[in-house]
Amino acid sequence: MPTIRQPGAVALGVAAIGIGALLLRNRNTATRRPALRDAEPPPTIKAARRLNRASGLIATSTLLDSAIEHYRGSFHNKAMITPLIASALTLVVSVHGTADKHQGAHRVRDPVYLAAAVTGLVGTGFHLYNIGKRPGGFSWQNLFYGSPLLAPAAVTLSGLLGYYSERLRDNAPAGPARVFGLRAGRALAALSSLGLLATAAEAGLLHFRGAFHDPFMYAPVTVPPIAAALLADTALGHPEPPNRLTCWWLRLTAWVGFVGAAFHIFGVHRNMGGWRNWRQNVLNGPPIPAPPSFTGLALAGLAALGLLEEHDDA
Amino acid sequence: MPDRYPGYSVLAKRDTPSWNEATRQVVDARLAIADEPHFFNPQEWQTLRAVCDRIVPQPSNRPEVPIAALVDRKLADDERDGYRTSSLPKMQQAWQQGLAALDAAANSRHGTRYHALSGMQQDSLLTAMQHGELNGPEWHGMPSATFFTERLVHDTLAAYYSHPTAWSEIGFGGPASPRGYVRMYFNRRDPWEAAEATPGREAQACKANEHVG
Amino acid sequence: MLDDALHAPRGVHGRAPDPFRIDGWMPMRQFEDNEEVDFVIVGTGAGGGTLACRLAEAGFSVIGFDAGAWWRPLEEFASDETHQSKLYWTDERLCDGDNPLTLGRNNCGKAVGGSTVHFAMVSLRFRPEWFKSRSQLGYGVDWPLDWREMWHYYSEVEQALKIAGPVGYPWGPPRPRYPYRAHEINAAGWVLAKGCEAMGIGWTETPLATVSAPRRDSPSCVYRGFCVIGCSTNAKQSVLITWIPRAVKAGAEIRDLAMVGRIETDASGRATGVHYHREGKWHFQRARNVVVAGYAIETPRLLLNSANSRYPDGLANSSGLVGKNLMTQTNQGVFGTMRDEIRWYKGPPSLTLTEHWNYTDTGKDFFGGYCYMAQGPLPQTWAATQAGRGLWGEPLLREMEKYNHQAGMKIVGETLPQERNRVTLADEEDQYGLPIARVTYSLCDNDKALVKHAVDFMSQSLAAVDARDIWAEDDDTCHLNGTARMGDAPRTSVVDADCRSWDIRNLWICDGSVFPTVGGVNPSLTIQAIACRTADRIRQLAARGEL
Repeated sequence: MPTIRQPGAVALGVAAIGIGALLLRNRNTATRRPALRDAEPPPTIKAARRLNRASGLIATSTLLDSAIEHYRGSFHNKAMITPLIASALTLVVSVHGTADKHQGAHRVRDPVYLAAAVTGLVGTGFHLYNIGKRPGGFSWQNLFYGSPLLAPAAVTLSGLLGYYSERLRDNAPAGPARVFGLRAGRALAALSSLGLLATAAEAGLLHFRGAFHDPFMYAPVTVPPIAAALLADTALGHPEPPNRLTCWWLRLTAWVGFVGAAFHIFGVHRNMGGWRNWRQNVLNGPPIPAPPSFTGLALAGLAALGLLEEHDDA
Repeated sequence: MPDRYPGYSVLAKRDTPSWNEATRQVVDARLAIADEPHFFNPQEWQTLRAVCDRIVPQPSNRPEVPIAALVDRKLADDERDGYRTSSLPKMQQAWQQGLAALDAAANSRHGTRYHALSGMQQDSLLTAMQHGELNGPEWHGMPSATFFTERLVHDTLAAYYSHPTAWSEIGFGGPASPRGYVRMYFNRRDPWEAAEATPGREAQACKANEHVG
Repeated sequence: MLDDALHAPRGVHGRAPDPFRIDGWMPMRQFEDNEEVDFVIVGTGAGGGTLACRLAEAGFSVIGFDAGAWWRPLEEFASDETHQSKLYWTDERLCDGDNPLTLGRNNCGKAVGGSTVHFAMVSLRFRPEWFKSRSQLGYGVDWPLDWREMWHYYSEVEQALKIAGPVGYPWGPPRPRYPYRAHEINAAGWVLAKGCEAMGIGWTETPLATVSAPRRDSPSCVYRGFCVIGCSTNAKQSVLITWIPRAVKAGAEIRDLAMVGRIETDASGRATGVHYHREGKWHFQRARNVVVAGYAIETPRLLLNSANSRYPDGLANSSGLVGKNLMTQTNQGVFGTMRDEIRWYKGPPSLTLTEHWNYTDTGKDFFGGYCYMAQGPLPQTWAATQAGRGLWGEPLLREMEKYNHQAGMKIVGETLPQERNRVTLADEEDQYGLPIARVTYSLCDNDKALVKHAVDFMSQSLAAVDARDIWAEDDDTCHLNGTARMGDAPRTSVVDADCRSWDIRNLWICDGSVFPTVGGVNPSLTIQAIACRTADRIRQLAARGEL
């Protein structure tokens, strides 16, 4: 089991150094459009940076969560190091992107985000295969205790949101905001909505496994789905502007993400042996890094709302 | 028999969350049992030690598990099982009779007491006992096969497998409270479990077992 | 001292141990000996503990007596097989017959909470047809109970214990969803599952009385695997941490280290109370009703030991059936060695099972059914199992060394009621001066045919998953039932459907002794369901003035 640590750590380190070097190198090249100094950044840039932040938050969650879960799985397949690397790189470029006011997709961020999105899809494939090959196939037992079905989707979401942010940056500041030919704000609302639903489904599955033994466990299966519905309404509601309830509900969802992490910390504490038995309870107990992915998705939804409010044609 | 779990000892986990205070007290007391009889007389003790050596041959490259002393203590405390086959007398009496009868059989076959026989002769007598072939007045009607199965082997093995050395030998996880286990699937091991030395991987297993705790 | 509970009673001075708090106590009502309480219950296990709770909650005054200790699992349970024998009935019994039983740690507890303190938590419902074994399946006898009524009580017990079970149960009529989800299957459990799939039969996660998520003060099971020697996590929902604290909160008194030696009757033939030994002396507790719930050996023993001039053959024994029709369940195992590491010591021992042969009547040359379940024996138990093959010395040590690659399954096999299988009084006496029990047991041809079928089938299923060195146990048994059977007529039974003895209308029996047939599933859930039903019936009878 420790055999994966050294080459994995080395790979991670080399990649991080490489990415960092590339990012720093690209700071002031003439091939990129100049930063807008003094003027208020256009709504597309603001939204893109918000998405960088959202993506980074989700990537932090997936980095820690996949590390814990794949350690629990003993890294029995060497490929299990991949989501850690992808999430780490996504986090690094997201930090960079959050501070970046430049127009135009970034040469390094863009492919890293795309790679993360693909990593999540590949991971989903692996997880589907792992669940399906066990006796009973897609039984409740295997959905509960096998590879978590929708966990890799979080890596895809952090990659997609980041990739989306690069496409936003590609838009001219004065023109209509389009991503993949769709109205950028509406499409982002739809993407966030789907992301919230998928994450709520995963939380719901695991809270069902926990028999909803604590009434607060209903929070992630009620608040985010309502947020998803409100965002879907926003997405489909052109030319209606987004309403205040959607904004407040997304803030509530963001808050649920952090409160969830606090509950999970309490959950680990109340397991047998508490924190002293951390080597069992952090692995077995409710996953502490998982709930903040709701916060990340809520921030993405709020970025969509911000774009719709601030831009004339999104 | 090669060591399947080289370097593994459940005692390495004594001060980890795998052991609770109750377990430490119990195992400490067991490890402190002196290798001397409290119940059996000196002759019975000699015979018992010889019997334990045959039922559980122990390797010379590790401290001996005092099986005879553990059996003796159980009898001294009269810690019974809560039932007995009706053809057996009570546990203490059964053992005393059985050991005396074994010595009598040894004398009758080889002219000397059991503990002085060769290993092969000792095994052969035990096999005869197991097959119900030993009888005579010393048995007082107790069937030798029943004594062999339900007292002699049963109590000797229970004594051996109550000792941490035996737990470590078979790669058992050992005491586990409050910390239990995380990885439940095939071929998965928690870092506090024994690592198996599969052929060619003895060094890795040893290293992993050093980190058990 | 870890065995303090064995030396001085804890249910004294108006308080009871709170098993969820280290050194914690909760207030407990106490009665005077000469106070005629509504119910004295002898034994606080699956039958007595459950009944004590439900009667107290219904407003009756209740004292539960137990010969055993009131343990504090969190502080006093060690991860050690030898030390934990303190949970078992280790007072002597004699065993004979063709197939003398193994008692003690195998199936007999001595503790507040009874055998549920050490049981393996398997919580299964009877197949409905078994309640009418004679009329619907052609063997045994009919129960005087309707399966639909029992279905309701099973749900009540499953909810009370938050049984962790599969989302849908493959066999039998629909049942409500188990309150908690099934546990993660360990490798040993998967071997059974794969074997079943290879044989083309269904399997499921075993419904277990240990929680798979926190439940108030019970943490989730940590998969330590020492279940059958006592759960120090308090995840196991034994009677000790469920029905008993509820009973105490509802006003029941529990007297631990109190051995009931004799039930007294008066000139009119009614029970008047019990003689019990506690703190070095005999006492007498008056009661309006006496319930015997000592499980299938101590219950008939007490009834027989209470013989007097009016009842020379023992109490409630006009049928002559007290002590007779003792049934165990066959528990033979088949084991093999796997190439994979199994490490079967992790988790509850029986995480998967199949009830296929309980619900299928074709392809059998015997009456009755069996289930079989995965195994995870601890070292001493496994050594004893290996010794049962006749192994010792180097060959045994070589077998034991394969410990982490073993997998196997054991049956819970139905045996038929036979009057020759019985509990009688022996000439030996125990530490209280009471005659001990002699337990006589012999399998019949039907029982042996069932075992042969099961062993063949399990061996095939192991072979189908590439286990090597497959071997079968000759002889093992589990559980005890039948020695005070319920029925619909006094000539053919000891108690009626309400567990009320025919002969003495204020003497009740509420434990596994009342089973007329034993079925092919572990009895604990059924015993608790019967206790819940009996409590309801007692309430109804009391309301009608028929108590």
